[in-house]
Amino acid sequence: MRAFEVFSAKDSQHAVALLAQHAATSKVKVLAGGTDLLADLKFAPSSHAPAVVVDISRVDDFRGIRKTKEGLSIGSLVTHTEIMNSPIIRDLFPALVDAAHTIGAVQTRNLGTLGGNLVTAVPSVDSGPTLVALDAVVTILGSGGKRHMPLAEFFVGPRKTALKSDELLAEIIIPTENLGKPTHFLKFGLRKGQALALVNVASSIWVDWEKTTFKAARVALGAVAPKVIHATSAESFLEGRPITREAMEEAGKLAAGDARPISDMRASAEYRKDLIAVLTRRTLEGAYALAQAKRTEK
Amino acid sequence: MVEKKPAVIEKEAQKDALELLRAPAPAPLVPLPIEVLVPEARQQTPAVRQRATRSDARTHGLGQTKYIDDMYLPGMLFAKIKRAGVASARIVSVDTKEAEAMPGVVAVITGRDIPCNTFGPSLKDQPVLADERVFHAGDGVAAVAAVTEQIATEALEKIHVEYEPIEPVLDPLASLKLETPGLHAPSPNIYGHKVIKKGDVAKAFAESYRVFEGSFRTQMVEHVPLEPHSSLATWDPNGRVTIYSTLGRITLGRADISRTLGVPMSRVRIIATIVGGNFGGKNEITTEPVVALLSKKTGRPVKCTFTRPEEFMSSTTRHPLIMDYKTGVTKEGRILGRQIRLVLDGGAYCSWSETTLGKACILSAGPYKIDNLYAEAFVVYTNKTMTGAMRGFGAPQVCFAYESQMDDMAKALGIDPLEMRLMNALEEGSLSPTSQKLHSVVVKESLLQAAERFGWKNGNGSANGSANGSRT
Amino acid sequence: MAEVTMTVNGERRTAHVAPETTLLRMLRDELQLTGSKLGCDVGDCGACTVMVDGKSVNSCLMLAVQADGREVLTIEGLATKEQLHPLQQLFEEKGSLQCGFCGPGVLMSAKALLDENPDPTEPEIRDALAGNLCRCTGYTKMIEAIQAVAQLRHERPAAKSVA
Repeated sequence: MRAFEVFSAKDSQHAVALLAQHAATSKVKVLAGGTDLLADLKFAPSSHAPAVVVDISRVDDFRGIRKTKEGLSIGSLVTHTEIMNSPIIRDLFPALVDAAHTIGAVQTRNLGTLGGNLVTAVPSVDSGPTLVALDAVVTILGSGGKRHMPLAEFFVGPRKTALKSDELLAEIIIPTENLGKPTHFLKFGLRKGQALALVNVASSIWVDWEKTTFKAARVALGAVAPKVIHATSAESFLEGRPITREAMEEAGKLAAGDARPISDMRASAEYRKDLIAVLTRRTLEGAYALAQAKRTEK
Repeated sequence: MVEKKPAVIEKEAQKDALELLRAPAPAPLVPLPIEVLVPEARQQTPAVRQRATRSDARTHGLGQTKYIDDMYLPGMLFAKIKRAGVASARIVSVDTKEAEAMPGVVAVITGRDIPCNTFGPSLKDQPVLADERVFHAGDGVAAVAAVTEQIATEALEKIHVEYEPIEPVLDPLASLKLETPGLHAPSPNIYGHKVIKKGDVAKAFAESYRVFEGSFRTQMVEHVPLEPHSSLATWDPNGRVTIYSTLGRITLGRADISRTLGVPMSRVRIIATIVGGNFGGKNEITTEPVVALLSKKTGRPVKCTFTRPEEFMSSTTRHPLIMDYKTGVTKEGRILGRQIRLVLDGGAYCSWSETTLGKACILSAGPYKIDNLYAEAFVVYTNKTMTGAMRGFGAPQVCFAYESQMDDMAKALGIDPLEMRLMNALEEGSLSPTSQKLHSVVVKESLLQAAERFGWKNGNGSANGSANGSRT
Repeated sequence: MAEVTMTVNGERRTAHVAPETTLLRMLRDELQLTGSKLGCDVGDCGACTVMVDGKSVNSCLMLAVQADGREVLTIEGLATKEQLHPLQQLFEEKGSLQCGFCGPGVLMSAKALLDENPDPTEPEIRDALAGNLCRCTGYTKMIEAIQAVAQLRHERPAAKSVA
């Protein structure tokens, strides 16, 4: 790896100040868990290499999972292992646990952070679809202060987010109205572990129990467009629709139509569309099963 | 004190000599019956089935095993090799001045510095560092020795190479056509050819109930040993080089070092230690001549370890094969004749392709009794990663082909795939494709035991079977 | 240059390293702890697995400065002068390793698993080893050895484990 200077931030204010100071004159990269950044830099040519790395791995105010008045707040430095072990998340959003579990392997999950995963913003970002399906909002911290935006807009394109050069992703918030919304996530990779997703799907639904119909159904797709997208035709179709297997299958077909997958060495676009249809149905089934289980709990 | 009686002694000696001359000639050699030399089938040595702990298990578990990259000698430098990154080109110029001027860089070498720049286990078509031509993207074009690995890697970017790209040939079938200008001109693209002929295939096909045709392909595979290729060279005051290396075939390596460096073999010592996986990929020299030369030039020990990308680009891989099978069978499913054409993608250099060609060809018929056989195999140059030895030397690829066709034929004929194999399987005393009489043949026994183990009769493992049964 | 101090295998160690130095390189080049291996340098193979503050990590994906002040356990810290760690003992008995290169990483991941989950199921063991590639063995005997260690502790819960 080429030489660079490292500045370790003590807290979030310090981190922002370091970024602002160095981004003006040098190529700067932010280091959290290192599982994306350092892997990238190992064989990078000098044109790609940063002169300065701002290490935010010790910024404690980016940690923690807690309920706030806005909803559920997950600090950007929360690791995938912490997500998997968090009692609140296991209770409210088992889909987030599932999504975290599909990332890398134990070693990568112990270091890798949710924020890092989102900021790297590859089209197949594993933690993206579930959060997008849950209408998650991100808090961005910069020298200008705090700002918020929907996660779906935070992703701009492949490896591109809305962050400015002096900004950091501080937290991810799932809004109060979606706490406990039954959600299911499935990833299809060529291996069970350490695999890139061919297709990622997250479905999130409320159920109108009087009529047994879908309410506020959200279907988010990953790895089949330049960024995570909503399967809008599927979502419109499901609204108020009676919950049947046929409806789920139809939603799957519509979702496949919403996607713009590419053909690459891992799979053809056609195969990916097939996967979307099947995984959409399966995640809808999973979300509904979760809804039923929660209902009987009460 | 010996009494001198020279005349008597001489006479005795002469007498002995005459006796010897008069001794009857030894009886003419009677050929030993072959059967006596062939051991009884399944004769076991006492060691078989005994438990033993590996001698290296202790140090492995403690993390104390020293692999080549774990070795550090005083004053040691680190070497890195610059890779072409272009599949096919003429090298116009190599400018190393900027790299040489970098602080921490102690020496730089290029293809021009190699005393004899060709080597190989059979055909000597491989350069230590590409000199005039680049034949695949993983070709080394220059090497740097520096005080740290980081500096050596950075120095590679400061070596400026001008290439004149040449249209690469990537498809082995395209390479097969003799019209393609030889990649290694004047040598032809087809650098290996083998034919096995037995019986009369045309007659067998004429007598067949049905002749099946199938075409099968396998992909390039990389060994991915966990331990990358690595070597460390140091010269002693007597002009002898010692190279510690991950190399498996060290006697061959020694000959290749002697040849490429122009140094007598008596001055080359290669020490192999515990290797972190070979699988055939560490069967020939890679970094060894480079570190030896850099060490000679700098007067310091030099170590070079492949990066993981280099493992994929610049070390040998398993040959992809294009396999065309034509098999004539009776209505009952007995194979009467088989015609095979194999095209091996022989990559940029020969490496172990000749051995692979031979094995693939001989084994291409499968473990079946086939009296009428025509197997023809070609290995061709392409501008892709070198293909060499990897577990099986051609056996796994052809196995995929003949077993796939067997299943296809069984399905078409409505015969149980296991029955069809048992019907055709080699037996004790059967002749191999090259008419060698085979002993200790257990094809049928293995098939039957395997079928028993995974419940073939219950429909497990067959195309129509359920997914029940024990899974490993 | 950065001054980095950490506890490695119970001992306080200090080194002066370039800031971009990974924890792996520091362990191998500065502290001569060559048990952790460089197999890919990008966190795919797991041959560099060590434990930092009780969690298994790819030491090639961590800067040495990030480990400053932390507790690091490497393969060299598993056994004591008196005895092997049960995992090392069982790996030896079962013949779990062949070329041995992946061994230290696998043993660290196995230890990390058993520390958290003393009685893992086979799928849980496989999941725990998913980040450690082995090209020689097929993992079967590693899994058997880990199960045997879990069984040992199960049979003698009062027995003092080494680490």
